[in-house]
Amino acid sequence: MASARAGALRSPALPALVELIGATRRYGDVVAADEVSLALRPGEFAFLVGPSGAGKTTLLRLINREIRPTSGEIWVDGLPAHALPDRRVAELRRRVGVVFQDYKLLPRLTAVENVAFALQVSELGVSDDEARDRSLDALEAVGLADKADAFPHQLSGGQQQRVAIARAVVSQPPLLIADEPTGNLDLETAWQVMKLLEQISRYGATVLIATHNLEIVRRMQRRVLTLVSGRLVRDQPAGRTGRLAWASS
Amino acid sequence: MGVVLRAPFPRRRRRWPQVARNGFRYLFLGAWRNWLRNLTSTMPALASMTLLLVLSGLVGMAAFALERAAASQTASAAVLHVYLRDDATPQAVAALKARLKANRDVVSVGYTSKAQALKQAESRPGLPQLANAAGTNPFPASLDLRLRSVADVGAVAAMAARSPATDPLTPTSYNPGTYRRIQTVMSVVEVLGGAFLVLMGFVAVAVTANSIRAAILARQSEVRIMQLVGAPRWMVRGPFVVEGALTGAVAGAVAGLVTLVVWGIGIAAGASAFVRFAPGVTVGVTALAALVILVGGFVLGTVASLISVHRELETT
Repeated sequence: MASARAGALRSPALPALVELIGATRRYGDVVAADEVSLALRPGEFAFLVGPSGAGKTTLLRLINREIRPTSGEIWVDGLPAHALPDRRVAELRRRVGVVFQDYKLLPRLTAVENVAFALQVSELGVSDDEARDRSLDALEAVGLADKADAFPHQLSGGQQQRVAIARAVVSQPPLLIADEPTGNLDLETAWQVMKLLEQISRYGATVLIATHNLEIVRRMQRRVLTLVSGRLVRDQPAGRTGRLAWASS
Repeated sequence: MGVVLRAPFPRRRRRWPQVARNGFRYLFLGAWRNWLRNLTSTMPALASMTLLLVLSGLVGMAAFALERAAASQTASAAVLHVYLRDDATPQAVAALKARLKANRDVVSVGYTSKAQALKQAESRPGLPQLANAAGTNPFPASLDLRLRSVADVGAVAAMAARSPATDPLTPTSYNPGTYRRIQTVMSVVEVLGGAFLVLMGFVAVAVTANSIRAAILARQSEVRIMQLVGAPRWMVRGPFVVEGALTGAVAGAVAGLVTLVVWGIGIAAGASAFVRFAPGVTVGVTALAALVILVGGFVLGTVASLISVHRELETT
């Protein structure tokens, strides 16, 4: 049932949830993203790989409208990120869950409060009780129901990253982007976090992960987008076990 | 067409009472909590703004009193006495009076006889001795004119001086320097007072903007998360603006109270002396000034925090 559902979600008939059309971002003479064109469909799970400075973070920031492209178009769930005025950026951000390498949890809040805070500031109509219930559900989904009242410093790196993932998905955004989410984790914990993100994509969210962890990328056998010097040099479909261009070059 | 299992991103149902409750909580209660928590770092801003507002209050009230005094001086400067020769004939005086009455710049013409002039002089310090020493009445009869404007005094005085009924030695009370001196003093006070207030305002806004900047930096991670999860801009920026407004309002309230107390004590200590020292400054005027200071503090604090928020949270 779940795989049939996932298959339907990845059907090419569905319009792209994220679409980049010749997206370019320059910083002076440096081209961080060079004419990148790609599309991610609803429920798709993809890795973004490449050497340091290849433009992975730039691409994620373009999608999340933290920066604007110098040229080209970026569409996220029907919203033109490339042309979105500042006052409407929040509208786009509510459709994108973000996970960082350094978790970015608020140290003075407990796990459930961290999740509830994100939910309530993005959805003002949510009451305290509802926010707590939904946050507990999200923590349960990432396997941390028993740590709801723990402060970040009382949690391991893997657990903190799970809280960050719960925070990113609590408002059920259609897109989840993660920038090196396993960068601070050991291989076993990293694998668990990746499986968790994969599970989230099965429930319909599009997941795009920038990572250096090629071992996990190989094991997961999902779509791999390879960036080198800001250019998308390879788009390897899911299920293929081809060489990773930049790693083998 | 394929089966769409996932609907488009749902439009959030607005639950306005809850939105209002949460909005109030984040904007005002959150700002209040943070303001109290950061009171130590806000103290320089609070102190400088209070000082500015107290000084503004004192300078403003002093300027008001000075303006009232100057207005009174100006009004008396618009009174012109035309001194008559002791041997002036009644016909010549009547002709002069008629000409003056016909002048558009003259509001009224009165007459003071030599006897009345002596009587008035006796009530002024020093003048009775002068009158006794002279043996005869040295004070001339006069036509007393009230003019529309102090600016007309010179022309009317010149016209009156040409009359044969007018005393050739001291034809009128007109002193061209008086009005000019009043205007000069007023202009200097206005310029200096204005410059001082602008300077103090600049300092207060800069210090407050800096304290708001410090508050933003202290909560940078919280702000970043709010921005990334899609909190509306007003919600990210609002609490900082409210904090600035709060700083300004508290400074304004303290300064307003100080102004009220200082001038209140002055008025209570000696109403008659005070009227001469600061004419027009009543309890009502002082209360109004305190209110203006309170509002001024609120506005200054808000402007300072808006500047800071605009600079520090410009990126989305």
